[in-house]
Amino acid sequence: MVDFFINWAANVPAFAVPFALAALGLIVTEKSGVLSLGAEGYLLMGALAAAGASVVIGDHSLVAFAVGALAAAALSLVFALMAVTLRANQVVAGLVMVFLAQGLTGLIGTQQGWTNRPIAGLDRIPLGPLADIPVLGPILFRQDMLVYLTLPIFFAVAYLLSHTMVGLRLRAVGDAPEAADAAGTSVTIYRYGAIIAGAAIVGLAGAYLSVGVAKMWVEGMSGGRGWIAVALVIFARWQPWRALAGAVLFGGIEALIPRVAAVGLQVPQYFMLMAPYIVTLAVMVYANLNKSTERRFDEPRGLGQPYLREERR
Amino acid sequence: MVGRYCKSLTLGAVALAAATSMADAAFKLSGPAKIALVIFTNKNDGGWSQALDEARQRMEKEMGVSIPVIENVPENATAVRPAVELLIQRGYNVIIGSAFGYSDTFKELAAKYPEVAFLNPAGTTNGPNLESFYGRTYESQYLCGMAAAGASKSGKLGFVAANPFGLVNWTVNAYAMGARQVNPNATVTVVFTGAWNDPVKERAAAEALTEQGIDVIGQHVDTPAVQLVAQEKGIYSTGHHRDLAEFAPKATQCSSVWVWDRFLVPEIKKIEAGNWEPGPYGAFLSIKEGGTDVSCCGDAVAQAVADKVVAARQAIVDGKLQVYAGPLKDRDGKERVPAGAVLSDADLWAMDWYVPGVVSQQ
Repeated sequence: MVDFFINWAANVPAFAVPFALAALGLIVTEKSGVLSLGAEGYLLMGALAAAGASVVIGDHSLVAFAVGALAAAALSLVFALMAVTLRANQVVAGLVMVFLAQGLTGLIGTQQGWTNRPIAGLDRIPLGPLADIPVLGPILFRQDMLVYLTLPIFFAVAYLLSHTMVGLRLRAVGDAPEAADAAGTSVTIYRYGAIIAGAAIVGLAGAYLSVGVAKMWVEGMSGGRGWIAVALVIFARWQPWRALAGAVLFGGIEALIPRVAAVGLQVPQYFMLMAPYIVTLAVMVYANLNKSTERRFDEPRGLGQPYLREERR
Repeated sequence: MVGRYCKSLTLGAVALAAATSMADAAFKLSGPAKIALVIFTNKNDGGWSQALDEARQRMEKEMGVSIPVIENVPENATAVRPAVELLIQRGYNVIIGSAFGYSDTFKELAAKYPEVAFLNPAGTTNGPNLESFYGRTYESQYLCGMAAAGASKSGKLGFVAANPFGLVNWTVNAYAMGARQVNPNATVTVVFTGAWNDPVKERAAAEALTEQGIDVIGQHVDTPAVQLVAQEKGIYSTGHHRDLAEFAPKATQCSSVWVWDRFLVPEIKKIEAGNWEPGPYGAFLSIKEGGTDVSCCGDAVAQAVADKVVAARQAIVDGKLQVYAGPLKDRDGKERVPAGAVLSDADLWAMDWYVPGVVSQQ
C-alpha cells in the first residue's frame, strides 16, 4: 500500500507539469485580454519541434525544450496577427490555431519520419541526500529537470504579473484597454508580447510531453490536454498558483488511472477514464456557482474583445 | 535467434470461395487489374497503415505491377468519394481501403461503380463487388502469449490495450490462454488506456504494470511506447501491427504482424480470373489465409518454448488447434464454449468476458 502510494505520487509531477505549464501560458496570454483557445495547437507544435530537434541534433534536452517553446511562439504570431492586428474573433482565431497545428505538425512530422522514434529524453535527477529521505525522497526529489524548473517558472511568472510594472501594464491592458491606452501603454505591443510569451510556455509544456514524458512523438499526441488546460484556467480564476494546484489534481488522476488497473482493483474502467472530464465539469460548475466579488475581479474584463481606439462600446 | 520470422505457407483464401453460392452475381473485371490503395492516415504511422503500405510494396514485387497509394484520406464520405472517383476515372478498377470508417462510402461507391472491385480491411460492409476483411488476431496473439510466458520469470504478464470490446478482448483472452500453455499459473493484467494513439497514457500504463512486478508486457495499441518502457526497464514485451523489435530490439520478443499481401495477392488473382465472390460477412482471415502472423521469438525465449510456438503455429495452420475451442469457461466459471464446439464468429465479435488468468477491471 505504501509502495503503491509512493509510486503513484512520484509519477504525479510528470503528468501535472504539462497541465500546469499549459495553464500558466494561457494565463499570461489571457491576462492581456486575449482569449486563447489555441493551447492544444501550441502543445502539438512544441511536442513536434522538441521531438524533431532531439531526432536531428541528438539528445540535448535543453535545446529541445528551447526549440519547442520557440516553435510554438512562432506559430502564435499567426494568432496574434489575426486576434490583435486584424481584430478577428478570438474564439474563431484560437480554434483555427488548433486545426492549423494539427495539420501542420502531422505533415512535418510524418514527412520527416519522426513518428515513433525513441528519444532518450530526460533522466530523473536524484537531489543528493534529499533523495534518500523515506517516502518524500522518491516523491519530491527524484524528478526530472523540468519538474524542478516548474516551480521557479511559476514564481517568476506570478511575480512578473503581480509585482512589476510590466505585469501591471499587462493586466491594465487586459482589464481596461482604453484606460491603458490613454495612459500611454501600447495595447498592441503588450497583447503581442503576452500571446507570444504565453505560447512559448505552452510550447514548453508540449515539448515536455514528447521529450520528457512519452519519449517519442506521434501525430496528435497532446490528446486533448490543451482543452483541459483551458478549463483549468477558468477553474484557477486566472491565478497561477491555483492553476498549479488544479494541474496537480488532474495529474494525480491521470497517474492514478493505470495504477488502479494494474493492481487489479475492480472499479468500472469507464468511470476511471471519464474521471478527469467529470472533474473538469465539476470544476466549471463550482467556478460558476461561486460568483463572488473575488471572481469578478479575477477575470480580465477586456477578455475576448478586440481593442479599437475610440470605439463605442 | 532461431526462427526469428516464421516462414509460412501461402495457401490463399481457399475456404471462402468454396463457401459462397452467389454464382449469378459473379463479378467480372472489364480489363486487367489496376490496383490502388487509399489510406486514412500517413503511410509511415509505424503501425496499422504502415503495415498496409508494406503489404502494398510486397504485392508490387510479387505481382510485378505498380500500386499507387493515396494518403491522409479521412474517414468521411466527402473525403473518400472524390479520392476514389479520381482513381476510377484514371482507370483503376481494384480499390483497396484501410479503415472501418470507409465502410459506408465504399458500399455506396460499390453500388455506383459495379465494374470496380473494392476491398476494405477492418470494414463492415460487403456486396457483389465489395469485400471487407480482417484478421483473426487472436491466433497470433495466442502465440505471442506463449512466447511472453516463456520470457517471463515471475509468470506475471501485463497487457496494454485501448478499449475493451470484441476484437480487443479476444486478443487479451488469447494472450492469456497462450501464456497458460507454457506456464499454467501465468496471469495477464490488462490496463485499458481508452485511446489508440496516446503514448503518454501507454507509457503510464506500462510503468504502472512494471511497478507490480510484471516482467513481460503485450499490447494492442498503436504506438511502440510499451516496447520502449520495457527496453528502459530491462524487461520484455510483445508487439502488435508490425515487428516492433525495430524500436526495442532487446525488449521485443514476439510481434503479431499484419501480412495482408498473403490474402490480397490470391484474392486479386481471383478477381482477375472472374471467380471472386465476396461472402455476405466478408473475409475473416486466419494465419493460413493471410491476416496476421507472428514474428517470433527473441533471445529471452528459451529454444524449447520457441519450438512450441512454431509447432502451435503449424497446428493452427493445419486446423488442428483452435484457440477458442471448448470446453472453455470464463473467469467467473460460466461455460462459454461447450466441449467439442468452437466459438462462433458472431460470439467472437461480441466477446465481453475474460478467461481465467486475466486480471482486469470490469
